[in-house]
Amino acid sequence: MRRITIGAGAGFGVALGLLGATGVARAAAPIRIGVQAPITGTYADEGQGIERAVKLLAAEQNAKGGLLGRKIEVKICDDQGEAAQAAICARQLVNDHVIAVIGSYTSGAALAAQPIYARADVIQTSDGTSNELLKHGYRTWFGNAAPNSAEAKFTAHYLVDVRHFGKIAVLTDHSSFATGLADAVVADVKADHGDVIDKSFINAGSQNFSPVLTKLKAMHPDVLYFSGYYSDGGLIRAQMVQLGMKAAFVGGDANQNVAFAKIAGPAAAGSVIINVPAPADLPYPVAKTFVAAYKAKYGALPPSVFTLTNADGMRAVMQAIAATKSVKPAKLEAYLHGMKSFQGLTGTFAWNAKGERTGSPFVAFEVQKDGSYRILYPAPTAG
Amino acid sequence: MGTFIQQVVNGLTVGGIYALIALGYTMVYGVMRLINFAHGDLCILGAFVGLSLLTGAAGSGHPGAALLLLAFVVSIIAIAVAGVVLERIAYRPLRKADRLAAVVSALGASLMIENGIMLVWGPQVHVFPAGLLPATTWHFAGATISFVQVMIILASLVLMAALYAFVNHTRFGTAIRAAAIDQDAARLMGINVNRVITSVFIIGPGLGAIGGLFIGIYYREAYFTMGWTYGLYAFIAAILGGIGNIPGAMLGGVLLGLFNAFAAGYVSSSWQDAITFGLLIAILLVRPSGLLGERVAEKV
Amino acid sequence: MRGAPLGGATGAVAGPVIWAAGLALPFALDSSWVSIAAFFAIYAITALSEDVILGRAGMFDMGHAVYFGIGAYVTAILNTTLNVPILLTLPLAMLLAAAAGALLSAPLIRLRGDYLLVATIGFNAIFVLAMQNDPGGITGGSDGITGIGVPSLFGLQLESQSAMFWLDWVVLGAVLLVMRNLDRCEFGRALRYLKQDELAAGTLGVDARAVKTLAFALGAALAGLAGTLFAVQLSTVSPSSFVFTESVTLFAIVIVGGQGSIPGVLLGTALMFVVPQIFRGLAEYRYFVFGIAMVAVMVLRPQGLLPRRRAVT
Repeated sequence: MRRITIGAGAGFGVALGLLGATGVARAAAPIRIGVQAPITGTYADEGQGIERAVKLLAAEQNAKGGLLGRKIEVKICDDQGEAAQAAICARQLVNDHVIAVIGSYTSGAALAAQPIYARADVIQTSDGTSNELLKHGYRTWFGNAAPNSAEAKFTAHYLVDVRHFGKIAVLTDHSSFATGLADAVVADVKADHGDVIDKSFINAGSQNFSPVLTKLKAMHPDVLYFSGYYSDGGLIRAQMVQLGMKAAFVGGDANQNVAFAKIAGPAAAGSVIINVPAPADLPYPVAKTFVAAYKAKYGALPPSVFTLTNADGMRAVMQAIAATKSVKPAKLEAYLHGMKSFQGLTGTFAWNAKGERTGSPFVAFEVQKDGSYRILYPAPTAG
Repeated sequence: MGTFIQQVVNGLTVGGIYALIALGYTMVYGVMRLINFAHGDLCILGAFVGLSLLTGAAGSGHPGAALLLLAFVVSIIAIAVAGVVLERIAYRPLRKADRLAAVVSALGASLMIENGIMLVWGPQVHVFPAGLLPATTWHFAGATISFVQVMIILASLVLMAALYAFVNHTRFGTAIRAAAIDQDAARLMGINVNRVITSVFIIGPGLGAIGGLFIGIYYREAYFTMGWTYGLYAFIAAILGGIGNIPGAMLGGVLLGLFNAFAAGYVSSSWQDAITFGLLIAILLVRPSGLLGERVAEKV
Repeated sequence: MRGAPLGGATGAVAGPVIWAAGLALPFALDSSWVSIAAFFAIYAITALSEDVILGRAGMFDMGHAVYFGIGAYVTAILNTTLNVPILLTLPLAMLLAAAAGALLSAPLIRLRGDYLLVATIGFNAIFVLAMQNDPGGITGGSDGITGIGVPSLFGLQLESQSAMFWLDWVVLGAVLLVMRNLDRCEFGRALRYLKQDELAAGTLGVDARAVKTLAFALGAALAGLAGTLFAVQLSTVSPSSFVFTESVTLFAIVIVGGQGSIPGVLLGTALMFVVPQIFRGLAEYRYFVFGIAMVAVMVLRPQGLLPRRRAVT
């Protein structure tokens, strides 16, 4: 009998017993900013980059006395890049009384968390670009990376009008971000009178892409456009070259990460990636300062430009708090929506009513033998 | 035609790797009727151990053939030791207990090894140095085959043949087969069953480490969650061929690789895994003992 | 009463008392913890449903997350595309899950344990892949379906975390009642006989095939029920919540806790699931320690932590 009592009670005892250990709600003296990112998992690189960027900015601000006389406290939650964990993280961060959340890296994780933040009126800024994120028009949503639609237009223009590729093969994975981007590119290419000979899917993370690439090789495409993430893009490029495919490789923005060149190895040289400029290439002084500070503190460059777009999200939120002298969501949201132009690390931009980022320059850059990027188009002008 | 041959090449390469890993599963199951869920993770651990050696000693870039060989040897030894330790700690104490307890212990061991890899090497994707092997490729009949692929296919064949010879034509091999048929009877015949089991946990993981390192060299990347996936595929291969049956594991591995390649190339790359699992279930329904028949004692 | 599963009269009282005490949790804990308690209830139901198949009927089901997932997706799809109220989707979720359980198990029941295990793994993988591939555009692909509504009871929206917890807790109570009655009824006895010795059970007139299929269907139905609650709790369903690892966890819970033992399964759920949530702060070390713990528990106590007391006949 005692065993049953102990046994059945143990489960609740565990929860209740730790009641003392949990933080008791206190009047929030510090300003809490949340970070929801894939600290572990496939995109751990990016997730940790976001965490570091936000912590760096918070530390810099705290050294100047914080915001409104209060210290900034950063709360991290690891969503592992997965929707279910993202929803759990969202609830936890909301319960932690954060003002705003930076993240997540993937559209899928951002999507899962979005309604929870919206209901709790917590600002969410993420580099997710799937169109699904705009569907409900949440006031709390601020996409800090340029939307898929803008990239798709640029991509189609580049493939058809600039490079004059005849036969275009499109490859994507099943994530909402990549499929959305691929669909948009296909539509824009067709509108531009380009020829899409195939659209195929891969399973992200499966590594074994040779079979589908072999199938594509038989169709003799002039270019393979891949809209998914760098961890797969690098392998696709390597396997393409190994199979002796003559097609060029053009990757969407999620291929931009230092790991792409590492994974693809010698095959990386010559691949083209479309994105806003990479951290090291950003011409803006604020960007250069930030990248230098990041390197000084962490001993490495930011993994990708998305670290900086999320850093922009954080900077915008901090600016809003300072300017409105308030942490009330309604005031901050109004300020952010109303900004005419924000000097971001990744360019000057603003947010429209839907929370879409407007006014961003895309470039197509080519990966060099040493892994660095050379901007191909638009051709860089002096200054 | 070229595409077809290419897919065959793709399939055989991956299949050789599956086969090497499947052998470990099948041997353990044959002797102990235990699905060693930690096996896939051990194999990937082999890849990581090799990786450390290659990047550590490489300095700037291109390690020679000697270093590569050393990496293999060190990896094999390390993983064989790990396998023996695993058996002692997680499985031996449970020999007399409910089989399911050993299964859960294996699952726990798998978690441990997988996360241990993450803690030691980090959660990000690790890239193998380029140029470990010559990048030569040959073209024939419209298909391309690379040096790496040839090496993997050949090495797998040689190793499998060696194992087959060992198990079927040596005394100790006979002891293994006897223990696989009936442990108690084997014991009565004077066979040191403990030693047989230990040896199985040396050979299986040892071969698996080679498979794991091949994965790293072929795909040039490794990350800590790979063990699960490859373990599962290898296990399917073992069942396909007939669990407990060594030639069966080899055949199963190769067939699985080929099947995968054709499913992806000719049917649909995104449904490829679903089709593979569908094949597994079909085999279980129609011929559960596998293509070449299982080699396990039936407990009445 | 010898060997009665809940320890006789005292067990019969202690259980409900503890359950009733649980209703007070939202007043004692802050909403993060209530959320964890809600998840505990949901996973406990799922674990108990696995126990029906694995612990009681002795069938190696290592793909149980499929039924959990079917329940969740049915609710998600019906609610987001057809605006069906959540509680109305419940019976359908359970029914479809049960049907899947019966259909999937029927051809494989006669297989040897390990083969059934592998087949269930296969079904799990196929299910996840199917959800990811988004056939017909209804499953939402890798990112799944978001924006699932909240249940409403008699016009009252159960929107707060506490309200959802109470719903989950009440359902858990109902499932515990079902499980206890399972022990006592004829079907439950038939399961016990089958598990002990299938050959002998046959001579007693137990139709192995029918009983096993029914057990699978029941386990699947309960998992489907939990799936609905899960979908509501997260307001999102995505394939990653139903992968093989989840099935493995359920399997381990039953074995670590004690096959066929209700207190054991509940304890197993608490350990397997709640504890990692508590130690989120240790992010990287969580699962490593977990793995070690699993091996240790099995080696030290292979019969499970709170094994069912066997009736001495």
